[in-house]
Amino acid sequence: MKFFAKNKQELPIADHFKTDGSQWTLKEKLLLGLSFTDYRKQFFRNPFNWLIIAIFAVGIPITLQRFIFGLGTVTHASNDYPWGLFLAFGLFTMVPLSASGFMLGTTVELFGRKDFHPVERLALLNGLLGYFFAVVFLQVDLGMPWRLPYPMFVSLGPAAVLFLVAWHVATYLSVQIAEVLPSFFEWIGWLKAKRFIRSMVLGLTVAGIILSTLHQGALGALFTYAPGKLHPLWMSANFQWLHFLCSAVFGGLSMLIVVSTLSKKFLTWRCDKHFLDSLDTLTLGLGKGASFAMITYIAIKFIAIAHDKEWVYLFTGWGQYYLLELSVGVFLPMMLFAFAYKNGQPGLARLAAFITVFGIGWNRINTAIISYNWNLYQEIPHWKEVAITVMIYTLYIVTYRFILYRLPILYEWKGDK
Amino acid sequence: MRRRLRKNVRYTFWIIAAGSLLIYAQPGWSFDPADAPETVTIDGLSELYEPVEFNHAQHIEMAACSDCHHHTVGTVSTRWNCIKCHNNPQESDSISCSDCHTKDRFGSSYLATLDDPELFHKEKPGLKGAFHLNCIGCHQDTGGPTGCEDCHIMNEAGRKRFNVGEYAPNRQ
Amino acid sequence: MKKNMINRRSFIKGGFAGAAAASALKNKESKAAGDFDHYPNSMGVLVDVNRCVGCRSCEAACNKEQNLPEPEKPFNDYSVFEEDVHHDDNKHEGGHHGGPRRRTDETRYTVVNKYEVPEIDHPLFRKNQCNHCLEPACLTSCFVKAYTKTPEGAVVYNPDVCVGCRTCMIACPFYIPTFKYSSAFEPRIMKCIFCYDTRLKEGRPPACVEACPQEALHFGKRLDLLDIGRKRIRNNPGKYVDHIYGEHEAGGTNWLYLSPVSFDKVGFDVHVPHEPIINFVRDFLSIVPMVLVIWPALFAGFHLLANKKNANQHDQNEKEA
Repeated sequence: MKFFAKNKQELPIADHFKTDGSQWTLKEKLLLGLSFTDYRKQFFRNPFNWLIIAIFAVGIPITLQRFIFGLGTVTHASNDYPWGLFLAFGLFTMVPLSASGFMLGTTVELFGRKDFHPVERLALLNGLLGYFFAVVFLQVDLGMPWRLPYPMFVSLGPAAVLFLVAWHVATYLSVQIAEVLPSFFEWIGWLKAKRFIRSMVLGLTVAGIILSTLHQGALGALFTYAPGKLHPLWMSANFQWLHFLCSAVFGGLSMLIVVSTLSKKFLTWRCDKHFLDSLDTLTLGLGKGASFAMITYIAIKFIAIAHDKEWVYLFTGWGQYYLLELSVGVFLPMMLFAFAYKNGQPGLARLAAFITVFGIGWNRINTAIISYNWNLYQEIPHWKEVAITVMIYTLYIVTYRFILYRLPILYEWKGDK
Repeated sequence: MRRRLRKNVRYTFWIIAAGSLLIYAQPGWSFDPADAPETVTIDGLSELYEPVEFNHAQHIEMAACSDCHHHTVGTVSTRWNCIKCHNNPQESDSISCSDCHTKDRFGSSYLATLDDPELFHKEKPGLKGAFHLNCIGCHQDTGGPTGCEDCHIMNEAGRKRFNVGEYAPNRQ
Repeated sequence: MKKNMINRRSFIKGGFAGAAAASALKNKESKAAGDFDHYPNSMGVLVDVNRCVGCRSCEAACNKEQNLPEPEKPFNDYSVFEEDVHHDDNKHEGGHHGGPRRRTDETRYTVVNKYEVPEIDHPLFRKNQCNHCLEPACLTSCFVKAYTKTPEGAVVYNPDVCVGCRTCMIACPFYIPTFKYSSAFEPRIMKCIFCYDTRLKEGRPPACVEACPQEALHFGKRLDLLDIGRKRIRNNPGKYVDHIYGEHEAGGTNWLYLSPVSFDKVGFDVHVPHEPIINFVRDFLSIVPMVLVIWPALFAGFHLLANKKNANQHDQNEKEA
């Protein structure tokens, strides 16, 4: 695509009209302004796409096996370990990383920081896709996925934390769809609809903050149902929800840095000048925000340990593992962010962001699988579980890329808007 | 005439005296081991097991009557907590276990009788429990049979319940 | 000016939407924090580990009463007690289960496990099944109300509303609910239901109680069972540990236990909290309505502050121009 963008003047598409005055059709927009042969050519020339095809070739049959023959055939999920990678990674990791949606929405629309506008849409898209695919992962994990609407419409159990998660994720998905729709409407030319949604943006943003605060916390609160099963260092009856909420803040910001870095590196042809020029400064700004959240997180982690008088656990093997997770996953990137901001080194901030994203995943998997049932035997996920997880995550990446190639997320739409 | 009357009175006196000796209850007098049945057929578990042909004669040689027929043969208990109230034990008319221990121990009607606030012995076992608790405890100490089928063989329903014999699971 | 009006209007709209969502979700808070007077006449079972001889009649009776699948071995096969269930059983250092243990699964609602304890010259046996808690963790964690605590004491499950999320399995401190992983289209939770449908509703004891030859399972009202348990401990000094497991564990359970040795030696988790599991979740549940109500005002304030700064800037620019 790089090749085509450089050589054809009207590509990449950033307007309703071509340079000769005729209008792009929807089909042409979908094919990025290329002929079908050219499109196919550029698709197969990209080695990343071969990897994607390989992953799908392995993953799709296994996913079908899961649905036709049951969860027992593809996971090690047992009666002692009911939750596996689909939830630990797909839900518990992807949701905090998708917190960029409400973070940037708040920053730009509520706090009035218009300087973050170039990455705002990317953050919103990141949020939407992250939540959407978290629901996809959930559907793969749920014993009876066709009953997903039950807690909404069939049999409500409002006293349960999961009830809040279900309702909030559903509502928040709608909010996020509404927040991303303006870019879709721009691209497709339905400007009245876009103006209608933009008129609600403040209400949507506030709704987004409320919903996000609660369900990010609720995912943590789910583990308070098993106070004896998690290792005490990862478990805090009083503050579990706060740990998850706080880590979601810097998780979302870091994921945004990661995605914007990848976009800058691999989708340069799609980004416009404003985005590319401002990205370094914005990265440092995001990193600064993340580092504030991180120092807060470390503080509340130690407060929780003090509250439950768990200092003695820090001196055990598990304690050393816990400190390792905290130092590599949070403390190290926090210092990198601070250093990068002070010395104006966006590359260092990007490195910190990658480490942070890994750290979030590490923390969630530690909470949900590794330190869970620490008194019993350890469960290792089945390789098929890993395969399905990788496949769905790849699908997420493919969808992400599909949208980024087309919608005005990384670039400003030049036509009517 | 008077000589015959005195003779009759003396005669009657001795008959009454001799008879009274027979009438007065003496410990163990009514329950002579010789009177006990040789075997007792216990078929309370007939849904699942063949009846037990209990060898009573053998057990008489190993235990005193009161060891098994507790509280019913007139012996004083040796347990301090029991003597507090039961210090004047009487022989019962019947010493069959089922007279005191009911078969449907946990049915709602029997449980309702336990609501009587003046009832002291609320945890008297039912018949099945009484047999097993009484027998197995002693068997464990003396080396007697303790397995289920050592005393009663399963009938067909029992084999079905326990998945045994012709009802055993195929994948062995 | 017009721009501000639109923002305010849309903000109020959003606020109402948020409040509507809040009122729908607020209900859960009142239900969770309310006082629950447990059903006083609920029935229970007192399990006496001293009396159990490991005959497995209870397992057999349960299997037939609940139409469970055929077992792998006959019920009078006692080699099951030596089964090693886990992949690496060595990792039990400090664990709350001492020794190999069978657990309930989708084919069996109850299992008996054997324990060798040095101070007792014969093995001890302990029956494991749902304890039918007074305030069950499974019930409070279920978001489709699949569980119900009946007045008779049973905690029963409705497979028609369950979505298979398996949170109840996470929540149960006793590791009881099991999931029918083998089924792709009709999975469900499988656990002891106190024979509610077939017996308890009519006041009859569950099948396992009826089957037990030693009356190691004593059926009656929970309050009476506590009396009986204490009496048994008192009348048999030295034969029982002075504790009824389930009196306070997990907030109290309807199935209670007596043991001749300390409970952790016969497979009980002695670290189960002495309060209902829901108590650990209350801290979060209580902040939910607070956030729903406080956040709109708080962030409206932030927005006004931010706008004020921009407005001031704007005014200043205009003045300078």
